[in-house]
Amino acid sequence: MTVAAGIGYALLALGPSLSLFISVISKKPFLILTVLSSTLLWLMSLIVLAGVWRAFLPLKSNTWWPFAILILTSVSFQEGLRILFWKVYKRLEDMLDAFADRLAKPRLFLTDKMLIALAGGLGHGVAHAVFFCISLLTPAFGPATFFVDKCSQLPFFLVSAIIALAFVTIHTFSMVIAFSGYAEGNKVDQYFVPAVHLVAGMVTLVNFASGGLRGWHSSPLFHGNLNLVALWENGYEKIIRNQTVIHSR
Amino acid sequence: MESSILDSIGVEIIGVMSPVSICMLLVVLIVYSLSSSNPFSAAAAPPIRTAANLVYLETPSDSTSHKFEGALLNALVFVILIAVVTFFLVLLYYYNCTGFLKNYMRFSAFFVLGTMGGSIFLSMIQHFSIPVDSITCFILMFNFTIVGVMSLFSSGIPIFVRQGYMVALGIFVAAWFTKLPEWTTWALLVALALYDLVAVLAPGGPLKILVELAQSRDEELPALVYEARPSVAQNGIVQGRSLDLLVGGASDSRSVEMQTMSSNNVDRNESQNLANSGYTVIQDTNFGNMEGVQRRDERDRSLSVGFLNDRCSSSSSSSEYSTVVGNHDSEIVVDEERSPLVDAQETRNGREQMRDGLENSEVSSRGIKLGLGDFVFYSVLVGRAAMYDLMTVYACYLAIISGLGCTLILLSVWRKALPALPISIALGVIFYFLTRLLMEPYIVGTATNLMMF
Repeated sequence: MTVAAGIGYALLALGPSLSLFISVISKKPFLILTVLSSTLLWLMSLIVLAGVWRAFLPLKSNTWWPFAILILTSVSFQEGLRILFWKVYKRLEDMLDAFADRLAKPRLFLTDKMLIALAGGLGHGVAHAVFFCISLLTPAFGPATFFVDKCSQLPFFLVSAIIALAFVTIHTFSMVIAFSGYAEGNKVDQYFVPAVHLVAGMVTLVNFASGGLRGWHSSPLFHGNLNLVALWENGYEKIIRNQTVIHSR
Repeated sequence: MESSILDSIGVEIIGVMSPVSICMLLVVLIVYSLSSSNPFSAAAAPPIRTAANLVYLETPSDSTSHKFEGALLNALVFVILIAVVTFFLVLLYYYNCTGFLKNYMRFSAFFVLGTMGGSIFLSMIQHFSIPVDSITCFILMFNFTIVGVMSLFSSGIPIFVRQGYMVALGIFVAAWFTKLPEWTTWALLVALALYDLVAVLAPGGPLKILVELAQSRDEELPALVYEARPSVAQNGIVQGRSLDLLVGGASDSRSVEMQTMSSNNVDRNESQNLANSGYTVIQDTNFGNMEGVQRRDERDRSLSVGFLNDRCSSSSSSSEYSTVVGNHDSEIVVDEERSPLVDAQETRNGREQMRDGLENSEVSSRGIKLGLGDFVFYSVLVGRAAMYDLMTVYACYLAIISGLGCTLILLSVWRKALPALPISIALGVIFYFLTRLLMEPYIVGTATNLMMF
């Protein structure tokens, strides 16, 4: 029974990514490689951050401000990394285009570029869920569950799975939004992404408030959905625009 | 709408990575399910004496320096043992005892599948209380083993079955290796990666000799090798070469590289022309093109030569580069043998083409080969990481896979047999300790407070 619960938590966090992976990514080997490399990049960023913060750990779990600083530094470092990722992607795109020319195949379509961005974001998201949620889930497969003092209504694992789901959504779609922002020089999109990431990170600080947080746990989920909506408008608009360009030729 | 190039890039890399991933995943599952509640590990509690810890039996109470020295000694003895056995096998191959070698491989496969696989199945049956009687179980095991042995060196068995058995062999051996004590495992992995480097690359290294011998004799290596041959004929052309071209395009020494490629091309064209006049027309056209091309400016030229190359390979449908990576087949008990592996070069392809003629234009496309030993030791590393925590498993998996990716890219640049262990093992070990020492307190500290970002 608890095995089922453990699998359920894991699927809650990673289910959407899994279906995205199977339905979109796994058909194109290049995208799988993109997912793997972006996961690796995220892991390395985490190791660097952990190395920097190692001296100050463990933090006392009754004050909240060291955690705020930790989240602030981590988010800004990761957003910096996103710009690096964008630069690398730019070079990759040129290489792929040159390669396509050589084979007399069409260059990358707009949808291809968005797919690469999606794969990059999915890598980040999966890495997040795996390290922050799945690796702590092992005890959930055992014969009991676990509640923290501050929240006696929901099991700890369930809360962490829900938050992880929210962050997977944020990471996955941020990348698409950010890349399209960089590509078009759209300032709003460029600043929207770090802002959402930072706010979502800060909102997890409410978990310090004691005595049943009720709906608050899921507030990052709200941000994830916000991201999704932004992505939808953005992408839809782009594709429509692109089609009109093609038609008008 | 024409298919975009995203569909064709990286097929061969994924072809190698997916079996490696499956192998690692299953080893981790086995380690998890068998180590937690332990009919098996309790039975193995008195440490077993194997070829890998002949000198020193590690016990948890020993001092760190004692463990360290002991582990180094164990690793040294193990590597020397492997080196001796490998030289012996190379010697046998040199004197053409191929029949003996093949039968020996079959025997090892039988032994590994039957006994190691059998004992793992048994402990699974015990662990999950699967109701099965001993006669049924024996018949199933026997059939499983026999099919595995037959699939090894015979051509009549579908490649899929063969690939499956290769992965199964890797899993069984790796699952046994994870029973070694911790320090010995790490010392062993590092020592093997170094040995692999020397054996495949140094002049006179046993695996290098073996690979060259096999190439000059134009034979399959008599060894346990995973071959990522596409099981379905692919609809085109470039599949096998895309990585190659991509890397060629990225490297600075483009003109040099293209130069050598075009000369290869000429050789191949010649041999193929000899072989079957059916090709002549196409090849001649290519020739003409090439000559015309040579008059153009440098840049144009390298581009079109690349393209030409492609067409050529599409017409013969054999990827001219193939690969190999050091292979070792290992068994735990007494004889550790490693054999190398490898594969086809231009000359060989040419000849093959001659032999096969037109009929198999689809079949002859060859893939990347990866030694079974690489499967085993990758999985050992991940399995060992699984005994600590899930986090280290993910980190090691990513490190190993990216190491494998680097090796494959180097392969398409250098086009010769390369050892697959060193880069991956180095990255894997580094990431394991970084994760364990640095990352764990950080992640656990934030995640247990439900802070995330």
